[in-house]
Amino acid sequence: MDGTLLFQSLVLGVLLGGLYAILAAGLTLYFGVMRVVMIAHAAFVILAAYLAWWFHRETGLDPLFSMVLTVPLFFVIGVLIQRVLITRLRPATLTMMSVLLTFAIALLIEGLLGLFWSGTQRRVQLSYSGDNFEFFGARIAVVKLIAFGLAVLSLALLFLLMKKTRFGLALRATIQHREAAQLVGIRTDWVAGIGFGIGLATAAIGGTALSLDATIYPSLHWSWIGPLMAIIVVGGLGSIPGTAIAALVLGVGQSLLQVELGTTWAQTLFYVALFLTLMLRPQGFFGGRLAQRF
Amino acid sequence: MSEAAKKPATGLETVRLTKSFGGVRAVDEATVAFRDGRINALIGPNGSGKTTFFNCVTGMIKPDSGSVLLRGKEITGRPPHRIARGGIGRSFQLCRIFPRMTLLENLLVAVRATGLRQLLAPAREAEAIERARGLLVRVGLDHLENAEAGAISYGQQKLLELAGVLMSDPDTIMLDEPAGGVNPSLIGRIGSLVRELNAEGKTFLIVEHNMEMVMSLSDHVVVFDRGRPIAEGPPSVVQEDPRVLEAYLGV
Amino acid sequence: MPGWVRPAALAVGVALVLLFPELVPNAYVLSAGVIVASYACTATAWSFMGGFTGYVSLGHAAFFGMGAYGTGILIRDLSLQPFLAWLLSGLIVLVITIPVGIAALRVRGASFVIVSISFVLILLLVSQAWEAFTGGANGLNVPRPFADLYRPDHHRIFFYLFVALLAVMLLTWWVIDRSRFGAGLKAVREDEDKAEALGVPTRDYKLAAYLISATFTALAGGMYALWFGDLDPIFQFSILLGAYMVLMALLGGVRHLFGPLVGAVVVGSALEYFKLEFGDTQLHLVFTAILLGIVVLFMPDGVIPAAGALLRRFGPQDTSIREITAEELLERNRAAAEREGAAAGRGGGKPSDGSGETP
Repeated sequence: MDGTLLFQSLVLGVLLGGLYAILAAGLTLYFGVMRVVMIAHAAFVILAAYLAWWFHRETGLDPLFSMVLTVPLFFVIGVLIQRVLITRLRPATLTMMSVLLTFAIALLIEGLLGLFWSGTQRRVQLSYSGDNFEFFGARIAVVKLIAFGLAVLSLALLFLLMKKTRFGLALRATIQHREAAQLVGIRTDWVAGIGFGIGLATAAIGGTALSLDATIYPSLHWSWIGPLMAIIVVGGLGSIPGTAIAALVLGVGQSLLQVELGTTWAQTLFYVALFLTLMLRPQGFFGGRLAQRF
Repeated sequence: MSEAAKKPATGLETVRLTKSFGGVRAVDEATVAFRDGRINALIGPNGSGKTTFFNCVTGMIKPDSGSVLLRGKEITGRPPHRIARGGIGRSFQLCRIFPRMTLLENLLVAVRATGLRQLLAPAREAEAIERARGLLVRVGLDHLENAEAGAISYGQQKLLELAGVLMSDPDTIMLDEPAGGVNPSLIGRIGSLVRELNAEGKTFLIVEHNMEMVMSLSDHVVVFDRGRPIAEGPPSVVQEDPRVLEAYLGV
Repeated sequence: MPGWVRPAALAVGVALVLLFPELVPNAYVLSAGVIVASYACTATAWSFMGGFTGYVSLGHAAFFGMGAYGTGILIRDLSLQPFLAWLLSGLIVLVITIPVGIAALRVRGASFVIVSISFVLILLLVSQAWEAFTGGANGLNVPRPFADLYRPDHHRIFFYLFVALLAVMLLTWWVIDRSRFGAGLKAVREDEDKAEALGVPTRDYKLAAYLISATFTALAGGMYALWFGDLDPIFQFSILLGAYMVLMALLGGVRHLFGPLVGAVVVGSALEYFKLEFGDTQLHLVFTAILLGIVVLFMPDGVIPAAGALLRRFGPQDTSIREITAEELLERNRAAAEREGAAAGRGGGKPSDGSGETP
């Protein structure tokens, strides 16, 4: 492949990696605070994309504005899922049963999307949908850049929240050692609930970003959850910076492979990476000591 | 290694055993030896690394460096079931039993099986059941053999856990806070059981906060502070050691 | 319950199953019966892992699909005798599952979930993309083993074949359930660390259970391929199929020999009914989702224990002398526990999940 094409795929890979990063951040956050592998995360992403599409169709406004509604809505749903549903499960079987529960939620969302808006493929059409610009010889779609910008912005906010606020401190303490956090007076149940809310809010942002540039249909979430789970394992379960790095690396890798192998085979990269990580370094490659025991 | 081989009386020992969690050294180059045939006690303030030490020795956690030797043979980093089969039985700090199995079934889990024939042999086989019943009689729980383990009291669960450990007939028994959360009469019962078993030749390594129990029961006490031993000796001597007081009182 | 009830119920059940093909009004219901029988096989196969060890696999469709495609491809490319191809395909899946199982069981719990789902997703991708090998979206045609039979006879034979496969699985289940191996697996389900500390080689046990489960699932898949004759990646490597297995097994109850079978009959019939009434809508997804949610939240042990509890509560004639003493025993212990808990200041101290083991 020639230099321009290589550079083009590299840039596209970084943009894609950014989107992966914000989507996987939520997934790793749930695992961190609750040891829950939240299968419904990608389904919520697709739900947010549908809401953005619907919002655009009904109001004619830019789908980005739908976040004003979806982000708080998803936050509340996230808190409720944790506080009302997840806490009902027995601690001894939490990991396994929560998987089933969130799986059921994913199926429910998929089924309801199909019932409301049918299985037809949908796509947001915007005045700037087809716009491109040149970047050192690479052609970049404006919508991809907006999605990337959104991802970077929200990741930066998440990072600041984790590092600079009192809540972030409590959240990190809960992730690292729940019992110890309880002992110093942190209400870990509420921290976990809010952590869930934040995770789901990132799904709303990611879904909106996705809606700008993707054709959506109800069962699309299955092709997202696999790569996202691979990313959080490679990044070290529960580690947000690790997840971000893994997302970028795998996003670029996928983008480069796509040129040679086509989209489908390029996707297998995630599963190969997942398999290799578990075989060689089950605690993940970029941080995260947590996984060792879980 | 060769050093250890020269001293056959040394049962379990660790050499510069280290394990850290996120920069904190929970066990810090701990070199300790526990002689066979004794009731050894491991004491120290909260967070001094006793449980981590236990977990490293029994393979539940892989140490970062250093080694664990059992009668001169290196067992560092082996999987827990191999260490258990090598003759080290252990209990857990928060007593762990199988709550939804009956008392009898709890003990039958510990029956060894190798080879397909044994693996597929009925778990409720007469010989194993007889052995399990014998142990239940010994810890005084035989009247409850068909009750679910989750339904008996915490103290009884501790006794059940001890019986489960005995089921595989280990020669070294490690107990993590056997008296924790147990009423005084049961503490007495656990204590006399330990003494009996020790008389039968079992070596004990006990982590315990109940000083009365430690001082009356043990032959040899090792004091841990910040992940390493700071003093050891017979209970009476250790009790007087100023370093021990310092560690406990934080002077 | 008098001693003769169990064997009698069993005999009636077996007779009903064996007579089913004679009792049905038409070939359509018969084919639905074959589907339910295949569900019963997959749900029972699933519970060798999900039931005994408590490790929930959502990706068992991967094994079903591999068994089905393996059988079809072996017949197509090597012209093997259909049932030889079927057995060989089961063996191939067994071998493939070894490295997958090792990876899946590396990190406790979470990795198993992730690998199990990922495995079916990757196989879906590959089987769609590798058209030369699997036929891709055009599907794969598996020649029928009994080409000269009419459709109803074909259904009848496969109904009995599935039932025979199920019988082998149930027998295996029964042997393992009462064995030392089974005791070890159940100990893993209750408390894995503890089981390991007692000398149970938990990883090997889990891997063995996974292999048994995968192979049986693959055999069910291969049988399905021989019966149905037409394979499509979307249906064979479908997440939903794996979800059905879980739902059926859990709904029936994994601690009980016939639990997954009961679950398969209930859920399978409901699914067939939905297909008939509502056709291609997404309603079956919503139905599956809600049912799964209810089972997980309110009766994680399944309907058999739940129904048993109901029976015991409302059926006074049902309590035998032995059960009363067991009840009393528990009651006595609870009282003792309370007394002791008060003394030790540790109110009935149940063991926690034990994650407080590390400092």
